[in-house]
Amino acid sequence: MRMSRTVDIELTVNGESFAETVEPRLLLSDFLRETLGLTGTHVGCEHGICGACTVRVNGVSARSCLMFAVQADGATVETVESLGTVSSLHRIQEAFRKHHALQCGFCTPGFLMTVKDLLERHPLTTNADIRDGLSGNICRCTGYDHIVKAVRELANERDGVAS
Amino acid sequence: MPMNDAAFQPGPSTPVPLSEDDVLVSSRPKYVGKPVQRLEDPRLLTGAGRYVADMVINRMVHVAFLRSDQSHARILAIRTEAARAATGVIGVYTAADFSDIPPVVATSRMRNYHATSNPALAVDKVRYVGEPVAVVVAKSRYLAEDALALIEVDYEPLDAVIEPEAAAASTTALLHDQFGTNVIFERVFQTGEASQVLAAAPLSVKGRFRFHRKSPLFMENRSYLAEYDRGRDLLTLHSSTQIPGIVRDVLSSLLAMPGKVRVVAPDVGGGFGGKGSLYQEEIIVSALARKLGRPVKFVSDRMEDLASSSQGFDELVEAELGFDETGRFLALKADVLGDIGAYSIYPWTAALEPVQVVSFLPGAYKIPNYFGRVRGVATSKAPTGPYRGVGRPTSVFVLERLVDMAAHKLGMDPKDLRHRNLVGADEFPYRIGSGIIWERSGFVECLDRACEVIDYEALRQRQQAARKQGRWLGIGIATYAELTGIGSRISVAPGMPINTGNESATVRIDSTGAVTAIFGVASHGQSLETTLAQIVAEELGVRPQDVEIVHGDSAATAHGTGTYASRSAVIGGGAAILTTRALREKVKRVASHLLEASVEDIETGDGRIFVRGTDHQITFAELARAVYSDMQTLPLDKREKLEASESFDPYLGTTTTATHIALVEIDPETYGVKLQRFVVAEDCGRMINPLVVDGQVHGGVAQGIGAALLEELVFDGQGQLLTASLVDYMVPTAVEVPAIEVSHLESVLPNNPGGFRGMGEGGTIGAPAAVANAIADALAPLGIEIFELPATPERLFRLISAAGAIPGKAGAGFPSGIAQETNAMEE
Amino acid sequence: MKPAPFDYLAVTSIDEAVRALQASCDAKIIAGGQSLVPMMNFRLVQPELLVDINRIAALSQITETTGGLTIGALVRHVESQKSQLTIRHFPVIAEAMHHVAHVAIRNRGTIGGSLVHADPAAEWPLLATLLDAELEIHGPDGERRAIPAEFFLGPLVTDLQEGELLTAAHLPYLPAGAGAAFDEFAQRAGDFAIVSVGAVVALRDGVIAEARLALGGVGDTPLRAQAAETHLVGKPLSDGLLAQAATLAVEGLEPNTDLHASSEYRLHLVPILARRVLATAARRARGACE
Ligand SMILES: Cc1cc2nc3c(=O)[nH]c(=O)nc-3n(C[C@H](O)[C@H](O)[C@H](O)COP(=O)(O)OP(=O)(O)OC[C@H]3O[C@@H](n4cnc5c(N)ncnc54)[C@H](O)[C@@H]3O)c2cc1C
Ligand code: FES
Ligand code: FES
Repeated sequence: MRMSRTVDIELTVNGESFAETVEPRLLLSDFLRETLGLTGTHVGCEHGICGACTVRVNGVSARSCLMFAVQADGATVETVESLGTVSSLHRIQEAFRKHHALQCGFCTPGFLMTVKDLLERHPLTTNADIRDGLSGNICRCTGYDHIVKAVRELANERDGVAS
Repeated sequence: MPMNDAAFQPGPSTPVPLSEDDVLVSSRPKYVGKPVQRLEDPRLLTGAGRYVADMVINRMVHVAFLRSDQSHARILAIRTEAARAATGVIGVYTAADFSDIPPVVATSRMRNYHATSNPALAVDKVRYVGEPVAVVVAKSRYLAEDALALIEVDYEPLDAVIEPEAAAASTTALLHDQFGTNVIFERVFQTGEASQVLAAAPLSVKGRFRFHRKSPLFMENRSYLAEYDRGRDLLTLHSSTQIPGIVRDVLSSLLAMPGKVRVVAPDVGGGFGGKGSLYQEEIIVSALARKLGRPVKFVSDRMEDLASSSQGFDELVEAELGFDETGRFLALKADVLGDIGAYSIYPWTAALEPVQVVSFLPGAYKIPNYFGRVRGVATSKAPTGPYRGVGRPTSVFVLERLVDMAAHKLGMDPKDLRHRNLVGADEFPYRIGSGIIWERSGFVECLDRACEVIDYEALRQRQQAARKQGRWLGIGIATYAELTGIGSRISVAPGMPINTGNESATVRIDSTGAVTAIFGVASHGQSLETTLAQIVAEELGVRPQDVEIVHGDSAATAHGTGTYASRSAVIGGGAAILTTRALREKVKRVASHLLEASVEDIETGDGRIFVRGTDHQITFAELARAVYSDMQTLPLDKREKLEASESFDPYLGTTTTATHIALVEIDPETYGVKLQRFVVAEDCGRMINPLVVDGQVHGGVAQGIGAALLEELVFDGQGQLLTASLVDYMVPTAVEVPAIEVSHLESVLPNNPGGFRGMGEGGTIGAPAAVANAIADALAPLGIEIFELPATPERLFRLISAAGAIPGKAGAGFPSGIAQETNAMEE
Repeated sequence: MKPAPFDYLAVTSIDEAVRALQASCDAKIIAGGQSLVPMMNFRLVQPELLVDINRIAALSQITETTGGLTIGALVRHVESQKSQLTIRHFPVIAEAMHHVAHVAIRNRGTIGGSLVHADPAAEWPLLATLLDAELEIHGPDGERRAIPAEFFLGPLVTDLQEGELLTAAHLPYLPAGAGAAFDEFAQRAGDFAIVSVGAVVALRDGVIAEARLALGGVGDTPLRAQAAETHLVGKPLSDGLLAQAATLAVEGLEPNTDLHASSEYRLHLVPILARRVLATAARRARGACE
């Protein structure tokens, strides 16, 4: 079995700097979960479909299962742990809670990071836009309705429109 | 979920005598019925949930399974030397290394049932692609996978057993040689003389229906972590299971460790029935943890989960419905062939799913004559097991299609035909042809409400107008009834190795005044931490956030089977009420002494205990201190133990009903199907938390929509799974699921402590039929019926082509050319 | 589903990339990784060396050149969708990008990766074919150019040689009075198309001066429907003409049958989408002429 040379990387995750030595094949998702212990990022498919592993890399959403940790050398990564805390939820998390937009919660971190991106960079004029923006994240529990409601409220708030 | 036999003999109608007062609980609902925000949310929203894959234990090692790439073959040799020598490998094991573990057998007292012998790792033979053959233990999952590639297995291929009808007929290509047949069970349900009545019926409709195989596809892949305490000889399995109690019981016996096994389900990322059975990997990681004396972790990847988690549905149904000229149903006859896959799954047996198809087939209607035969045939595919709805998605699809076909034949509106035949408000209890007894539930009321919400009459007019413009709009109704929260009288009937009919609860107040409530159910998305806390809080007089719910831990309760079959609200909720009431009586007795008032005058609320109409009050913490710590205040005989434990067995089941209406539009050229609206009117009894109820309905409907339009596990002639990843096994995204409009009827409360009905599965039961009926309705002018789900664009293309409908002609009046353009983005 | 081991090298220039590719006989470039990494996770691809080109700044530009736009191989789908230059000159790109996967994947997936991955149902290969792109390739022997008809050889197969790197796609501006459109049929939002169609129609005085019709998902590579194109050119625009051309679009096609669509169904979809897309392109062309 071929072995590969390890690589030293430095990156910022949720505002904290890390210097680690990794095997090139280590997926960013596994790096976050196993090397850093940030288990809020979930893994549901490892082939880019489910979106559970969505994080933000240098300010935009990305699948952490489709990146190697070595590629994040020098990058700024944000995971769900960068949002609010149990006692002080982030506004997106609050909206998800208010609208019961999660059940088992497994898909939720990926949705939250996607929604953060959508709110920052997408108009979301109609609910169809919201659904389209969410289409890269699979939720098997909620049927999406409550998630769409939560994002609608957030988008309206962002746009200063009454809900 | 299991019911069958018992349904034949009506038992006592109300085994647990309840007063009117009990049903209404109290006149001061504070939490029950309110959209209380979920208590589990803060941790799940912040990434602080703890799923099995998140757990790390010192010295933990990782496993990967070598899975069969053959669907049916003899194992001639397995060579593991190279894998053993690979970097980071701790061991490689095959069935021979676990010869002390007996195979699992899902027994049943059902006649004509052959229980398969289910080995933890394949012995001598493999029977489906994905069956575990060997296991590698290594320092990381990466290294374990590296070693898998070095294991060589010599197989002697045997005939693949794929097509259920051929499999049933074959006496040579046998999956389990000892039975002499692939048909592992057969049952018949009969009331009246269906064949004769059908032969004489003025009118009838029939069809050969196919409901294809699905994956439950929970988002968290199955994950197990076993740790072994060698000092105490204790084994703990952390498992993404819905049934920790059942797994504990069977592991104790398989590993011969009575009293030494604990199974804990931490946060679980969905299950939908697919995590409701025992899995080989749970046995192997447990055995390995003991063998190696270190924690062993298995986290399934999506490919193996699709290939090896229990699969759902997969039936072929031939059915005929006879009726008279006025539309009155006379007789129903059905022959069901269930493709159960390679093994009869533990504990449910392979019979559960297909038998429920037949036992629920007569549905919510009055059909005096019924004959239903069901056979389960073993094929060389992954085993089937419970999946949300169990049997009923297929039975409702078949029956509701027949009802629509009958309406068409009669020239009658489908809604009116349903009205004519549904069991009416004054006709309960009603025994259907399979023996199931429906208790009072709003069958007709739900139909009416759904029609009202969608404005049925106006919609029919809109449909007519649209048809004139060449647009294909379709409206589909599905009405069904199900039994939820099934008690022991019914659950015992199929003779399974477990009792699913009751649950117990323990509620205690500790020395700080904190309230803990312990259950045998296991939440995997159902919000039980919130809904059970609402119930306990309401009954005890504290706030939901003050109640700590313990669930999913086999060590916490003597017996508890878990969460499945829409049982937890009814049975777990029932146990919560009975237990908390018992505790409240103790609280009141103690408080009456402390507050020097009579027990009748003591009330509780918001975490306080007070004398009605006065400002005399104490907190629960003060009460606890008096009982446990401060030995001055209470005399010895008044220091009651602030704990109660009760169990609840609904004995029979609770009837739940709903009507779903789907509105679809089909592109008359491409045959792409778009769901425009989806309405559900359901009678779920008293709601514990309307937000949660809506969420359950939405999720169920989305799965039903997937089943109707997209999802199918496809195998080739050699038993290879072609839909092996999420690229090809397609589940709906937010774009394919419309907004779901849910309307609740709480009119008639069922006779159980909370007045709850189970509603965890209904969405998946009604939606496939509603969507199928809507598509058939849209295509009605072409004379096309839908007999097969999912109704993919490819299938619609073939149906429409076969009907000779040429685009342009069929879509009469569909203007071509510049007027009909792409929906370009900037427009 | 964990990838097999490999060595990793992040390069910062085209030359360095070319040298790195030569250093190993089993090297692979990683760009967005949105097609490559899934295949590595499935262990369908097990390169010895992964050459990461994400740090080659020169490849991330969209620039105006005389006669066209040059889109660097590392330009992400989202950038090609939102760039002012593409929106001004090739709005059809944004229209097509909307169908590519989902937000997070468009944030990383690149044009170069899509072209080299050469999925016959993917949007970029179709756009390159429709827009008469010229592909710029750097290799051990220097730079060369290739046209789509020569570049795409089969499903996931291109004419890219060992040691070569795709660096950019040059898109010549459409002629004056042209309109373009794209549409596809897929089962779910973001799925690869069952059939995709792009069209360019250029009008001069109400007569079709140039017509292009490109088809995806119906062959081993994206195709141009030459019979249809020929039929249109030189004729005055009319609904009937477009409909005729649309029916000609199936000429010579032999689509594959796969899990989600039969050859027949694909053939059924082609004229429908072709007619719709030609109609939209023609209307836009008329708008452009006004
Ligand atoms: C869930 C999902 C859905 C998707 N849906 C669609 C879709 O609908 N339509 C669509 O078009 N695509 C789709 N994609 C693929 C996506 O568009 C990819 O981004 C794209 O196909 C590949 O681009 P990449 O930059 O990610 O390439 P990579 O994955 O990095 O590379 C792909 C291949 O190209 C090679 N390569 C990359 N860049 C170069 C270069 N400059 N020179 C030479 N070789 C190079 C690599 O070696 C590799 O063989 C989907 C992907 C996912 C995960
Ligand atoms: S785990 Fe990354 S997309 Fe599913
Ligand atoms: S909440 Fe369970 S998958 Fe989304």
